[in-house]
Amino acid sequence: MAALNIDRKQFEQLLNGDKPVLVDYWAPWCGYCRRISPAYDKIAQQYADEIEVVKINIDDEEALSDEQGIDIIPCLILYKNGKAAASVVNPPSKAAIDSFIADNL
Amino acid sequence: MKKVYDMLVIGGGPGGYTAALYAARAGLSAMVLEKLSAGGQMALTHQIDNYPGFEAGVDGFELGEKMQAQAQRFGAVTEYAEVYEADLNANPKVVKTSEGDFYGRTVVIATGAGPRELGLSEEQSLIGRGVAYCAACDGMFYKGKTVVVVGDGNSAAADALLLSRVAEKVIIVHRRDSLRATKIYHQPLMNAENVEFAWNSTVKEILSDGKVSGVVVRDVNSGEERQIACDGVFVSIGRKPATELVKDQIKLDGSGYIVADESTKTNIDGVFAVGDVRTKQLRQVVTAVADGAVAAHMAEEYLA
Repeated sequence: MAALNIDRKQFEQLLNGDKPVLVDYWAPWCGYCRRISPAYDKIAQQYADEIEVVKINIDDEEALSDEQGIDIIPCLILYKNGKAAASVVNPPSKAAIDSFIADNL
Repeated sequence: MKKVYDMLVIGGGPGGYTAALYAARAGLSAMVLEKLSAGGQMALTHQIDNYPGFEAGVDGFELGEKMQAQAQRFGAVTEYAEVYEADLNANPKVVKTSEGDFYGRTVVIATGAGPRELGLSEEQSLIGRGVAYCAACDGMFYKGKTVVVVGDGNSAAADALLLSRVAEKVIIVHRRDSLRATKIYHQPLMNAENVEFAWNSTVKEILSDGKVSGVVVRDVNSGEERQIACDGVFVSIGRKPATELVKDQIKLDGSGYIVADESTKTNIDGVFAVGDVRTKQLRQVVTAVADGAVAAHMAEEYLA
């Protein structure tokens, strides 16, 4: 299962849900974003029971991305209880995403 | 009971997946250990024009995914794992990773090369926050901004030219007092109105306030230091092989590349080195895939 790309409405619904939400802010023209996508899809599979693992295209959701303070991508933000709890820019490996989650969940 | 693969491949670039493809087609069980995604360095190149068979060029990321899919079609498997340690002299050979330990009768090292770093203390933490190593990948972020390019070779000159078309101002920090790059770069760089030079200089420190805000450069002759305000620092001082993992077991040359000839054989039996990580004359996708095929052939011979 690949990580789902969502819009603002879905994002707001997820934030109000029970599970933590992990968002990968990305854009189609961003080489590093593409490079993390296979590992990120794997993360989505692996954590499906505990975390909502999704993606937001910053070109499609410009206002939302600005509100979330995104100015460098790929940027992963973990939201807990509706609030941004931690972020990481351009993780270099799947293991780095795993430890980011382990440290902040 | 632990599964022992005929071949463990460390690194999922063109060399690694070609080794896996040839191994799988020869009936060997092969696993590729890749930390992020297929393709390696070429995954960041949007257009590759010198890989034969694609007259209009090919996207490096897509080419990587295709090589992966092709190897997998014949039974090779991929594990998205970061390799922490390898015991290449053990029998079977052991590779310890973020996803557990894996065992192989042969190991192909296809870890490639990466950008050489300046080695400054703040550098690592500012990657993605102003410190960059690939103008073609990250240049877009610096539209209308000021960037510093560090380096005096051809790749620095090419990066500076590329950035001059996007950024407001480009400052090249150059160790000497004249360009070392090939002549074709001289005139365009001198003619570009927004390119400046800091001659005889090295970067001593990167300044930041959460992201890059400038650099401190040092004049190599006078020792005088001054600050240059900028939004980005592009480091373009060459490449270094990814051999940290095996440096205590495998013979390396003076620059850190694995010593192996056309046969891809290293000093350890059953361990092969392919692609950019190996000592060779020309580091290209096409020479990496050639190595992969040879390594699989040699592995087959070794296992026979």
